[in-house]
Amino acid sequence: MADFGTFCLLLALVASSWAIIASYNGWRVQSGELVLSGERAVYAAWALVLLGVLALEYCIHTDRFDLEYVASYSNRALPRMYKVAALWAGQSGSILFWLFILLSYSAIVVLLNRRKNRPLMPIVVTTLSVVSTFFLVLVNFMTRPFVRLSFTPVDGNGMNPQLQNPFMAIHPPCLYTGYVGLTIPFAFAVAALVTGQLGDTWFRTTRRFTILSWFVLGTGILLGGWWAYVELGWGGYWAWDPVENASLIPWLTATAFLHSVMIEERKKMLRVWNLSLVIMTFLLSILGTFITRSGVISSVHSFTKSEIGPVFAGFLGFCVVVAVGLLLYRLPDLKSEARLDSFVSRESTFLFNNLLLVGAAFAILWGTLFPILSEAVRGVKITVGAPFFNQVTVPIAFGLITLAGICPVIAWRRASARKLLEKIQIPFWALVGSAAALLIAGVRDPYAIVAFSLSVFVISTTVMEFYWGTRARQKVAGQAPAAAFLSLVDRNKRRYGGFTVHLGFMLIVVGVTGSMVFKQEATASLKRGQGFALGRYTMRFDAIVRQDDPNREFMGGRLAIFEGTRQVGTLTPGQNFYKAGQNPSTEVDIRSTLRDDLYLILTGFDPQEGVYTFKAYLNPLVNWIWIGGAVLIAGAWFAMLPDLRDRKRDVEARLREIEAHAA
Amino acid sequence: MPRPLSVKIAIAVAFLVAGFVVLFGVGLKGSLVYYLTVGEFLERSGHEDLGENYRINGNVVPGSIQKDPRVPGARFLMTDGARQLAVVYGKETPDTFVDGSEVVVEGSPRPDGIFMASTLLAKCPSKYEAQNRKGDSYKKPAGQGGPPASPGPVPTPR
Repeated sequence: MADFGTFCLLLALVASSWAIIASYNGWRVQSGELVLSGERAVYAAWALVLLGVLALEYCIHTDRFDLEYVASYSNRALPRMYKVAALWAGQSGSILFWLFILLSYSAIVVLLNRRKNRPLMPIVVTTLSVVSTFFLVLVNFMTRPFVRLSFTPVDGNGMNPQLQNPFMAIHPPCLYTGYVGLTIPFAFAVAALVTGQLGDTWFRTTRRFTILSWFVLGTGILLGGWWAYVELGWGGYWAWDPVENASLIPWLTATAFLHSVMIEERKKMLRVWNLSLVIMTFLLSILGTFITRSGVISSVHSFTKSEIGPVFAGFLGFCVVVAVGLLLYRLPDLKSEARLDSFVSRESTFLFNNLLLVGAAFAILWGTLFPILSEAVRGVKITVGAPFFNQVTVPIAFGLITLAGICPVIAWRRASARKLLEKIQIPFWALVGSAAALLIAGVRDPYAIVAFSLSVFVISTTVMEFYWGTRARQKVAGQAPAAAFLSLVDRNKRRYGGFTVHLGFMLIVVGVTGSMVFKQEATASLKRGQGFALGRYTMRFDAIVRQDDPNREFMGGRLAIFEGTRQVGTLTPGQNFYKAGQNPSTEVDIRSTLRDDLYLILTGFDPQEGVYTFKAYLNPLVNWIWIGGAVLIAGAWFAMLPDLRDRKRDVEARLREIEAHAA
Repeated sequence: MPRPLSVKIAIAVAFLVAGFVVLFGVGLKGSLVYYLTVGEFLERSGHEDLGENYRINGNVVPGSIQKDPRVPGARFLMTDGARQLAVVYGKETPDTFVDGSEVVVEGSPRPDGIFMASTLLAKCPSKYEAQNRKGDSYKKPAGQGGPPASPGPVPTPR
């Protein structure tokens, strides 16, 4: 099976290389047959890599420990679900998985565009195949998943217990699907630049791919935070670790693109900017992979220092040169067809939103790469700590939030100041009111006051936007409020989906602010019967809990949780001791409510004296981060659904194409 | 010609960029930390003052971890293979913090030379590949007999 897998991957490399040659030459000599052959080669490469993935999964499931990869990441006792996940637990497997996702996207793109966008497709296929060929070279020659050991171990090392968590099992696929999906808009952008078809086709075609990748990447980031929160036992969810940053940076530039592309759609402005954003996003996602895989930056997540670093750097350099070269070559053709009409307009809020997002991305990139830069320049590694990231991103986030509040009420082209003030009146007083209420309630932290009252501002302008829209529809169509609301959002899925995303984002802001600013903690060493207090909770240590399972032993303490004098539940934080000899793992226990999370950790115990030490965190509002994430996902899905307008546009485009052919 | 508008926008953008620069400067000022190995740190700390905070990378000396079950944290020695540094850490340690694991500590040295760490990172699970490569030291299955037949239970996620 292992040889079969190796063979499939080698054939896939041949197929993918052929896809480059056939598509590119097919485009040059305008040969439909060659182009078709290139597209078929993409399907072939996809099928072959699928077989390779299945072969590796088969080896994992049949415990083929003579393979280094299987021996390193699986063992006999590993549950089925995690054996599937073992595919992306290590470096070579995860690169193979990455490649598989890329080829799946490529095959879908080829399939969806078999009758559309024909002039662009050869170059799209060429670009996608160049990227997959790069990854195929990696899996064939550098990070080979089917390497054999010189002996066959009796059992594998198994997956680290911390990774045996459902969130962790789906976090990497989410991140990869997001990261890799950003290659699609890049490929269309390159095709537009190469062919000179610089109209709106490239971004219209890839809009759904961009939104899909954007929100899947966002989901992946959130799931990673959630996993860290429930599994790592330090009470937090984000640490500005280089690998976390590497996923956030392309997400920020993709966010910028999703906004600014609307301007290009409406006004044919910012064309160079949009192409640059798409190119930048793709390069940053490759850079992110490079950071994660190469070990150039010290990170808690980093894989072993490996030889693929220079190869990645070379590929990245190649992409930069080609993309920037193409952009410069087409620069004269990319003049804006319009200008900003007014400083006070929705266009300009989008412009500033973009500058802030790209500024934030650049700041985080700078902080992440600082150790490399300082070592190159001064010979000493200097790292940038979390305070830098917080100090830079928090003000930028405030700017973005303010824009998100103003944006829905400000008109396109030229907004009259009077009308704007009129519309913003109620949200503005909501902002002032909530700030005053917070001050009266005793909140003194300026960050918290600004963040909360701005959130109220954004939520109220957004909700009012739904309200005004519904009112208008009621009048125009004479519908009942509920029906008017439904037909309003149904007719403008993108707009109201987008606003829903904003609402979700604001909930995340509320959750992050609450848990960052108002976090409380307490530590206590207790004998049975003793208790300690934190915030509104009192905890009493009632019993020692031991559980013996075939592969681990759980040791923990059961605590009764009181709110005032009323018992509201029990929590059992503890530690798992694995019999296979892996490190013990901390098992936190959390009482989660909408108001706050009580987060308990068993940090140590002295069995002789019966003294157990517990650490408790009270994380206010942290649940709203996950709720906001769910709202955000729902909004993004909704925005992707087909609109009446889209269908009309598609039909029109098809008609134009037919006319062009006929002429 | 809408000249004044483009000037306005240019001014606004200039303000924004200036704001970024200020943010960068202020942000960097308090958060730059030298990232050194144990040996580099010991060499430098004797001679020149590099600031107050350091980030040091090394491995935990096996057997050196001392923990008091009543107090979170640990005392331990870390090494770069040649020299050793005594470290005290006062918060609960991550699960990956065990004998031999690669750690990064951040903090400052006390006058007596003991390093007071305020943060401690130990390498995360994905790192295991490196350790395996070194000696091909695959663990024997638990117990002396054959491999356990049934898959173990799923660790309790909450």
